[in-house]
Amino acid sequence: MRDPIDIIVIGTGPAGMAASQVAAKQGAKTLVLDEQSSPGGQIFRAIEANENPKRDELGESYYKGSQLTRTFRNSNIHYLPDTSVWQLSKDRELSYSRNGAAQTVTAKQVIIATGAQERPMPVSGWTLPGVMTIGAAQILLKTSNTGIKDAIFVGSGPLFYLAVHQYMAAGIPVKAAIDLTPKINYLRAIPHLPGAWSGLSHLIEGWRWKREIVKSEIPLISGVKNIRITGEDAATGIEYLKNEKWTRLDGQHILLHQGIVPNINISLAAGCDGHWNEKQACWAIEVDSWFQSSIPGIFVAGDGASIRGGTAAELCGRIAALGALAQIGKITDKERNRLAKPYRHKLSTELKIRPFLDTLFKPADNFRIPKQDDIVVCRCEEITVAQIREAVKSGCVGPNQLKSFSRCGMGPCQGRFCGLTVTELIADILNKPVNDVGYYRLRPPIKPLLLQELANLNSDAEK
Amino acid sequence: MTDYDVVVVGGGVIGVSVAYGLARSGQKTAVFDEGDIAFRAARGNFGLIWVQGKGAGCPEYAAWTRRSADSWKEFNRELKSLSGIDIGYHRPGGLDLCLSSKEMSARTRLISRLIDESDGQFQGTMLSQEVTAERLPGIGPSVLGASFSPMDGHVNPLLLLRALHTAFQVKGGELRIETVVDISYEKSIFEVTTTKGRTSAKKIVLAAGLGNQNLAPKVGLNVPVRPERGQILVTERLKPFLRYPTSLIRQTEEGSVLLGDSHEEVGFDDGTNPHVMANIAQRARSIFPHLEKARIVRAWGALRILAADGLPIYDQSSTCPGAFTASSHSGITLAAAHAQDFSKYVAEGALPSQLEALSERRFHVH
Repeated sequence: MRDPIDIIVIGTGPAGMAASQVAAKQGAKTLVLDEQSSPGGQIFRAIEANENPKRDELGESYYKGSQLTRTFRNSNIHYLPDTSVWQLSKDRELSYSRNGAAQTVTAKQVIIATGAQERPMPVSGWTLPGVMTIGAAQILLKTSNTGIKDAIFVGSGPLFYLAVHQYMAAGIPVKAAIDLTPKINYLRAIPHLPGAWSGLSHLIEGWRWKREIVKSEIPLISGVKNIRITGEDAATGIEYLKNEKWTRLDGQHILLHQGIVPNINISLAAGCDGHWNEKQACWAIEVDSWFQSSIPGIFVAGDGASIRGGTAAELCGRIAALGALAQIGKITDKERNRLAKPYRHKLSTELKIRPFLDTLFKPADNFRIPKQDDIVVCRCEEITVAQIREAVKSGCVGPNQLKSFSRCGMGPCQGRFCGLTVTELIADILNKPVNDVGYYRLRPPIKPLLLQELANLNSDAEK
Repeated sequence: MTDYDVVVVGGGVIGVSVAYGLARSGQKTAVFDEGDIAFRAARGNFGLIWVQGKGAGCPEYAAWTRRSADSWKEFNRELKSLSGIDIGYHRPGGLDLCLSSKEMSARTRLISRLIDESDGQFQGTMLSQEVTAERLPGIGPSVLGASFSPMDGHVNPLLLLRALHTAFQVKGGELRIETVVDISYEKSIFEVTTTKGRTSAKKIVLAAGLGNQNLAPKVGLNVPVRPERGQILVTERLKPFLRYPTSLIRQTEEGSVLLGDSHEEVGFDDGTNPHVMANIAQRARSIFPHLEKARIVRAWGALRILAADGLPIYDQSSTCPGAFTASSHSGITLAAAHAQDFSKYVAEGALPSQLEALSERRFHVH
């Protein structure tokens, strides 16, 4: 790694794999860093291990990643798996840890493709042992070929139906599926349906999952307005409010999910500008038409900038790589535009379904902005709704003051589990736009690292 | 009639300490504080209440520091009863560690000088390598000794800030989230223009940290301060192993270990830098080798507010009587003096002669 690096790509989901192979194909010296031990990101996690034999229960959409992963492996790139990036500066100096040692590298261009994370779901009892996210349950299925038996799936969004369907197809008993999609969202989404026709295959796929769940023996409970997970030391069940009536379901495993949101920690810590996306109720990173952020030379492609889905992420990754290649003279602007044209065409088709999906699956306010005093918002420091309310009343006008006053968001997760809730909650209490309330000021290290790794950083860099 | 008796500009630890003292003595007081993002030295503090090493060559500053440190016990009790917040105050004494024989001899000279200049009021002593190791189990062989002062202590600076804000409001003070853009003075009344409107007061205290520089000339004051960046690392919570705070490493009540610090002239950049962080980690490891297995979970940079000689600046305006200023990078140590003494001087309308040595006039060429 002595020659200067042209392009660093962070992440090997669809956006990262696509970006790095486009970069390498044009002769750019490309370094790819990823946290996981094999390529695929969340959507195609462990795809290589699940190739032979293929596992039908994971579905067709999962195996769309096969070709992309093979091309990625055959590209002339330097790929470092099991690598945790903990710092990125405006001048594109990046620090990472691998096998217990930290390193610093600088590149001419950086493409952040860190994908999405599950939206936190701060409901009563969500911190009890026995409660997990649906995403985590899906990871088990993909990586260990096991699942959580007799779980109650609770939530909304495409992944909610997909995961229930995958569990069903894998023959893992599902106790019940509680669909939290607000009924009003169906009405609100109808006007967006005509635009969504080009994404018909996605819709058909989704409807098929849902229909098969309905036809199965799994109780699918919809029209639920509120939930609370019960239990003292561990989850013992869930109560749900439907037709003004609370009903109880016993169960030791509750799986929650209400959509995905961009994983913005590296981008924001580097100093990229972000803004509140009201339609998706999450923060998004400002990017231009080449997915370059407000910092020249730093691109954010895929769901890490804003949620567009896996297929779109791959296209964004390709376009971002072309943008980066042109900036360092590996291709001309003319070539960049020509090469990007088919990707842009596909991308615009792919994005037509977004208004429909965003409207249909926007989680209800009460699952994003908890009202009940004793609900824990910050899991790391165990800060409740009541404590946040009190701090805001005593003068905290934003998440950073709140952090100083209450430790909310100060734990090792760096606000990943509470940031969204905190900003929406403060905005709600102060009756201010979320964008004015702002987000945590994120600082490196983005991921915890051992003191010795940091201590050896300068001496290792000299070697 | 004015809206307030006193307006304090700055909601950091200095501003709110003074404001709390004023509100407690019955002055109608408002604090103007900036929004969510600002240069906030009070949020980046290490949390030491530190006496040793301060004020060599300026006995008035050394005495002011001792006075505050000695008032802290009562100040802590008062804050707790008013706010209900335990701010983790302890005064077990503190150590400043020496990593070379050069440092050891320089420190020995400094301690004896401080004792001499204070007529024995300052208590401090040098500890040998063996005694240092006894007091700080787990310490590495590169620590050759330390200075020790029983007058030193530590506190959770964020809880202190919160307790001060609470106590201030309990005593009837008003916190206003408005950025001050202008101050004018006419007929013994200060008019403060903020981003939201205008307010009048009989007196004004500028405690806006680095912002004092720009505000001071509006009321006939001069506050020559500059930013100096310090970076701090924090580990995950560890089992208690450090009984005493030291100038570079301290363990909080919750178990986190704070590792300081750096001194960088980088202007108004309060970011972090991995190479400086690496130096801090290296030094921490040489002091406590077992820390190498600790996880670093957080780091930050913050800007110290420094005058050319590193001492605080306290002043009152001669052209706009009733305008005061306080600038210091020792806001935690001096919090008790600011709340109990400085606020009294403001209420009475004049700073005492012993603070003359800390006036900006000290920089004037004689």
